[in-house]
Amino acid sequence: MKIVVTVKLVPDTSADKRIDPATKRLVRGGVETVLNPFDEYAIEAALQLKEKLGEGTTVTIFTMAPETGKEIVRKALAMGADDAVMLSDPALVGSDIWGTSYAMAAALKKIGFDLIITGTQSTDSISGDVPGMLAEYLGVPGLTYLRKLDVEGGKIRGQRETDTGYQTVSAATPALVSVTKSINEPRYPSLKGIMGAKKKTIVVMPLAELGLTRSVGTDGAKTELTDLATPPVRGKGQVVNAADGTDGARIIVEFLKEKKLL
Amino acid sequence: MNDVIAFIEHTAGTPRRVSLEGATKAKDLATKLGGKAHAVVVGGGASAAAEILKGYPVDKIHVLDDAALDGFLIDPAVDALESVARAAGPALILVPNTMTGRDVGSRLAARLDAGMNADATDILVNGTTVACVSPKLGGLTITTCAFKNSDYGIVAIRPNVFAAQAQAGAGEIVAIAPSGKTYAIVVEETINEAAAELGVEEASVVVSGGRGLGGPEPFKTILKDLADELGGAVGASRAAVDAGWIGHGHQVGQTGKTISPNLYIAVGISGAIQHKVGMRTASTIVAINKDGGVPIADFADLLVVGDAFAIVPELTRAVRSAKA
Repeated sequence: MKIVVTVKLVPDTSADKRIDPATKRLVRGGVETVLNPFDEYAIEAALQLKEKLGEGTTVTIFTMAPETGKEIVRKALAMGADDAVMLSDPALVGSDIWGTSYAMAAALKKIGFDLIITGTQSTDSISGDVPGMLAEYLGVPGLTYLRKLDVEGGKIRGQRETDTGYQTVSAATPALVSVTKSINEPRYPSLKGIMGAKKKTIVVMPLAELGLTRSVGTDGAKTELTDLATPPVRGKGQVVNAADGTDGARIIVEFLKEKKLL
Repeated sequence: MNDVIAFIEHTAGTPRRVSLEGATKAKDLATKLGGKAHAVVVGGGASAAAEILKGYPVDKIHVLDDAALDGFLIDPAVDALESVARAAGPALILVPNTMTGRDVGSRLAARLDAGMNADATDILVNGTTVACVSPKLGGLTITTCAFKNSDYGIVAIRPNVFAAQAQAGAGEIVAIAPSGKTYAIVVEETINEAAAELGVEEASVVVSGGRGLGGPEPFKTILKDLADELGGAVGASRAAVDAGWIGHGHQVGQTGKTISPNLYIAVGISGAIQHKVGMRTASTIVAINKDGGVPIADFADLLVVGDAFAIVPELTRAVRSAKA
């Protein structure tokens, strides 16, 4: 079984990022690029399937990112994936959700797969729309928000999270699944894994190889950034010491009444 | 784009509140664009949901009531929406920014080769141009993105931001022809582990707990009681979720949900950046912490320094008597 895990490179989630008021762009200096934390669960899910299914199952990492992201892709390889493909092309810069999904789907078709595993969303754009669009463009079933995943005899079965519990869903491969953080605890790369990853192949795929009929990037995008604003900074509010429980409750109730929230 | 189509997510005929928010917004936008407002509701109980929708200002309610469709995931709704959208011509389609809404919206976007705006907190109409306002990078920046190069635009609306206004519209019921297809993803069973409750995304009041609560019990007792009294939902920080004290669905923050309630009460939560980005767009933030030097002190409207285990039950009682 050929498993492809899609990953995204995002600005470090734990860094307190800021926007340059003049350029209205993210100040990249000092903010590290990392693997989207949600994608680590997808990688782990793929590696667990590979361990379970054994011989003949491979895990390929796929990302659409500039070539400078190679070292981050290597972290995914260090976790235990076999190889990686990067769709890298200056013409992709400025792609929106549509363009990203359209180009990624074409690349995934070219790579070939039995199962695609994605995270549920990225920590920078947080749209959560790419898995569904990929499934549709690839014409395969999209089983999303899985907290449990099993593959048996060409069939995927999983538990899809809902607000009140879960649904057991199933479909035949080839398919796409997205997995939530409830599904596993991602492993840390071992020293052996890190050393081994240096020898693994990362193929860089240019856009021209895909033979797309529609333009992507800024020109082809179906949404266009027209304004970028910085939200008002939340100021420091009141800090009040409560003598006891009753006093604390009184302070809050008075405050809520003042705000007309009670 | 002239017509506006709202996808109605519902449970056995009861629309989610965000769907009613979408239906209300659809009419507002359709009026501005000079088109009609449609609602699309699919699955078992769809007719009952349509009756409720008659109390909201949409012009047409497209219904496909067939419980058998609940045996398949997502695809029946996408087919139904696609047929309504193609018949309407260039249109704006509103879906809830929920798990199901995002799935339906994103798949439809690919079907229609449409632009997609995620997690919208406002939708602006300027002549014939439609643009969506969405917080990005965890509320660090607010983007406005206009649709272009496409006949259709899909917008996933953030729950609890747009108003749901009961006001009857034309409410003409139109039956959607069944596609007759067999779908690829089978729903074998649906298990409800918890009683249906308002999720943190939709609640106007969220009472969240963090590491400071020390275990799972307070989430089920003192936080739950306060949330119930305020008509809200229980949320949690990543630390509490990772410790297994409460399910991931309750997590607020960078690897959880990004929410904008009217009131956010953070109990025993220090307010690290990962949490802050999930709740800083709340209208009012109240924190209870035993330490006055925690990061949340810098952005909460009120931080009460004291023992949460003493304050929270008293607060529940005080809220109850304030309401009486």
